Amino acid sequence: MLFNSIAFAFFLPIVFALYWIVPQKYRTILILVASYYFYMSWNVKYVFLILFVTVVSYISGRLLEKEKREKQRKGIVAGNAVLCLGLLFFFKYFNFFSESVTAAFRSFGIPWDGITLKLILPVGISFYTLQTIAYVIDVSRENCKAERSFVDYAAFVSFFPQLVAGPIERTENLLPQIKSEKHFDYDQATYGLKLMAWGFYKKLVIADVLSPYVDRTFEVLPAHKGVDYLIAMIFFAIQVYCDFSGYSDIAIGTAKLFGIDLMKNFDSPYLETSITRLWGKWHISLSSWFRDYLYLPLVYSKAGEKLSVKMRHSISMVITFLASGLWHGAGWNFIVWGGLQGLVQVLEKPLEKPMRRARKKTAGKLLLPVYTFVMFALILVFFRAQNISDAFYFFRHLFDGFGTKDYWINTIALWPLPFAVILFSLLVLTVFDIASQKTDVIRWISARKWYVRYLFYIGLLMFIMLFKASGEAEFVYFQF
Amino acid sequence: MTKEELYEKLNQVFREVFDDDSITVNPETTADDIEDWDSLEHITLVAAVENCFHIKFKVGEVVRFRNVGEMADIILERVNQ
Repeated sequence: MLFNSIAFAFFLPIVFALYWIVPQKYRTILILVASYYFYMSWNVKYVFLILFVTVVSYISGRLLEKEKREKQRKGIVAGNAVLCLGLLFFFKYFNFFSESVTAAFRSFGIPWDGITLKLILPVGISFYTLQTIAYVIDVSRENCKAERSFVDYAAFVSFFPQLVAGPIERTENLLPQIKSEKHFDYDQATYGLKLMAWGFYKKLVIADVLSPYVDRTFEVLPAHKGVDYLIAMIFFAIQVYCDFSGYSDIAIGTAKLFGIDLMKNFDSPYLETSITRLWGKWHISLSSWFRDYLYLPLVYSKAGEKLSVKMRHSISMVITFLASGLWHGAGWNFIVWGGLQGLVQVLEKPLEKPMRRARKKTAGKLLLPVYTFVMFALILVFFRAQNISDAFYFFRHLFDGFGTKDYWINTIALWPLPFAVILFSLLVLTVFDIASQKTDVIRWISARKWYVRYLFYIGLLMFIMLFKASGEAEFVYFQF
Repeated sequence: MTKEELYEKLNQVFREVFDDDSITVNPETTADDIEDWDSLEHITLVAAVENCFHIKFKVGEVVRFRNVGEMADIILERVNQ
């Protein structure tokens, strides 16, 4: 069930009420049952996938407890990764792999009929596979103990607020909280509700409203050009931020209702002054995962020993972001997207000192975030375009003048009201994100006098009710 | 190597990496205390520390450092081996 669905509106209060009514010792199993129910609401068969990943990684953890020999320990970690990534590969990448092999053979003139399977990508699989692989690696690094209780561990893997699109949690953060004794904290719960409301605002009032303008352009590129492309590109960068950070806020807010604090996943990324720094504030749970479990092992690998620090950093960076691109989608356009992200960061590295100086000046403070946003939005075209040739078509026609008359008539010129609302919504978002760098905005609002607080709360709810997009649109990141 | 010598050398390294001669670290110093000490600079810093003390950290250790004190403990261990 989607977060913005009637089913969830029933599910959440029921689970919440049961959770705080039952004695502490039943809470974990309640979370487990609720989370599996939540997952099965998409497809009952999904339960086998998450059980498989849970059982394999649980056993790997217990084996690592006993096995002290270095080589065997590496084997257990590798085995777990192969099994879990193998499952992910099968569901997510098999067709892409098969088609690419076919295309490669064909380009050499060899007739080859690759098999493609009719597979649906199970929701959330990209997320909980990474979470469990991290657990096993953490245990092998002795950064945490292997979990003995299968119920506790299974609840950690399937915890429904973060199950389908993250944040990808760390063992050391989530597992102890699942296990701990919880007491109802009114402040924490109400903070959670407020955060959820803010997440819904970003998703329903901004992301879903911008989405049609983006889709219209990208679905039929030749019907548009020039400024249409520019607008679609900017709108998409905003859409994906609001969609995904909105989802994360709802997930984190929901978890707070159960006394659990998940990690921050976005931290005003578009205010950052370089692509490198942006990645420290965007999809933080994923980028820190890739840093700790791919980038650092690469930098410190035996293969890297002969190279200079700069070379090790650059190569590891590109490999890591290529992998990140591939994680985002089974397609060459995603891989190119990742590769470009890695490349830009490598190019930014030598510019670090001048950028640091520029950041201290007013001109730098204004221009660097503009550079970052534009660069990020440009690269995102590869992410959104249906394939690579579409992306190239886009760039070839980006400067083709002022766009098509049709587009202008049907969008900007005819409807001033939606655009005024969009601009106002974005202004509110920008103020919130800028303020967030200095203080916790929700906590600040909560500390004002009662009439100021309620002005904000009711104002926000009414704004969402009035201006949300119609229909139950999916979250962009659900396809991962 | 004594703790004083260690921290003297560490101060040097930090000052060079972050381009700031006013930095002085103590066991409780964390990334929050030093502007620009983000995860990227962390890697540069670790490389500089390894270089300065002629030691090598393991991946599991690098990921785990919560403050300068933890880093210093491992350095002492490695250097006095």
